Amino acid sequence: MIYIIDHNDSFTQNVVHQFSNFDDVQCDNYNKIDQKKLTKADVIVFSPGPGSPKNYTITSSIYKKYKGKKKIIGICLGFQQILYCEKGKIVEQKKIYHGYQSQIKVTSNNSLFKKNRNFNVGRYHSLKLKEPFAAKNFEITMRCAISNVAMAIENNKEKVYGFQFHPESFLTENGNLLIKKILSA
Amino acid sequence: MIKKNYLEDLNNTNKPFIIYKSGKGFDLYKDFSQKIILTNQNIEKFINKSIKLKSKNKETDLFIGFFGYEILNNLIGVKIKKQKVLKFPKGIFYKPETKIKFSKELNYKPLKIIKSNKVFKINLNNRSYEKIFNKFKKRIKAGETYQIKICTKYKNSSQIDALDFFCRLVKSNMAPEAFMIKDRNYSIISCSPENLITKKGNFITTKPIAGTLKKSKNFNKQKALAFFKKNIKETKEHNMIVDMERSDLSKICKPGTVKILKKKTVEEYKDLYHYVSLIGGKLKDKVSSLDIVKAMMPGGSVIGCPKISTLNLLNNQEKENRNIYTGSFGYIKFNGDMRFNIIIRSILNYQNQSEISVASGVVIDSNAKHEFNENYIKAKALMDLYK
Repeated sequence: MIYIIDHNDSFTQNVVHQFSNFDDVQCDNYNKIDQKKLTKADVIVFSPGPGSPKNYTITSSIYKKYKGKKKIIGICLGFQQILYCEKGKIVEQKKIYHGYQSQIKVTSNNSLFKKNRNFNVGRYHSLKLKEPFAAKNFEITMRCAISNVAMAIENNKEKVYGFQFHPESFLTENGNLLIKKILSA
Repeated sequence: MIKKNYLEDLNNTNKPFIIYKSGKGFDLYKDFSQKIILTNQNIEKFINKSIKLKSKNKETDLFIGFFGYEILNNLIGVKIKKQKVLKFPKGIFYKPETKIKFSKELNYKPLKIIKSNKVFKINLNNRSYEKIFNKFKKRIKAGETYQIKICTKYKNSSQIDALDFFCRLVKSNMAPEAFMIKDRNYSIISCSPENLITKKGNFITTKPIAGTLKKSKNFNKQKALAFFKKNIKETKEHNMIVDMERSDLSKICKPGTVKILKKKTVEEYKDLYHYVSLIGGKLKDKVSSLDIVKAMMPGGSVIGCPKISTLNLLNNQEKENRNIYTGSFGYIKFNGDMRFNIIIRSILNYQNQSEISVASGVVIDSNAKHEFNENYIKAKALMDLYK
């Protein structure tokens, strides 16, 4: 079962439907977490959402508790949440991407995805990861083709994954394939 | 055959009636056997009960009316702080006993001319609008909202002939979701272009509009489409609304059934082009009417995104109740089918006070002056009815 933690976002149900292609999905609001579902889940997904990771302490504590024990996937805010818990700095960026379709590329040899592949994705973020960023077992595997901003992280050892863009958006090409690959990793 | 002077006679009786745009003409509902004034206490029961009534498949087996903005907020758990209020009901529904179809336009000549007041007062001047605008831009940079719509209100005291206003409005600004309500102590006139819910059987669609372009001589539909596609700001706003409406539908639809049926098309109206998408899905088996209303309302395209945090930002900012504005008008049939619009481009006349609310969106690259003027243009089409 996949347990999606919703951060009051207006895109969360798209995430739910996307993951429902692959497994049974349960979804609750971050301040109404069902401990039984959380314990039962094979995969925990942090949804997108407004604001900044520091506002969501409950999600941070879930991450710390289950990192390495369950597969964890973060999308947009969820991606930043993981980075924030790994001591990454999340900052406002000059150019803001809300409803933006842009091209990103796979930049790492160690990614589940093929290096140098380019594809179009939907983006909804005003914040970004400040670099340099380093955390054990983590690698930035995708970047914006123009600005080079971090777009995906993979930790294939502890099975932690994150996307700054929205795989569930209609603006993202092959979003389902991305999720399928991560889920079967 | 509808007899000559039908509308003149009807208007003269002072009995309440409702007119709603149909495919080619208009439907008129009257002879109301019930009038339900909605409160936070009775709304859930009303929505769910309305479909448990026995349907004899009559065309009048429905409740028609509106939900105001505040009650829709409260329904999804969003609270609104103390505001200046008109004490206008939060929602009203009627059970009609008669429905009359007008296959073409409405013919109405007022018997006496009521002189209405042309002068309007605005609740936000340019400067205070800009202040709010800049405040919201900061919230966008901080990621608390991605798009937010600031509402301005134009008000005056006026007696109006609502039917006359409506007939003139649809002549100049015909819109697929136009409607009017005339009751004893209030009237609503609207040329809303936006359908929020069309539910037939287990299929539901929503048709958000994001992007409006005034017609000019050198433009045609194709050029309008090219304009929207090239305009990054309009495209981003539209994308956001499409993803948000997909998500709202996904709350109540079966996984895998939510589809964009028409992606970013242009619809042509008398004076405007609209950038429109149509999204639909198959409802889950055990979805109630209340689930549908809560998932879709208040309609996202006129609020901003994401819905909850944006509503909270708006409600903390706005000093005056929105009343009907950005609520929904429409009907629930006894068999569960529904049609609801988003109440925009509307006049509320209550106790001889008229108010016209308008809003336009703030995204990161909007310009305060431009949006303020945009609001004025939207209001002007309605203010021009006063003479």
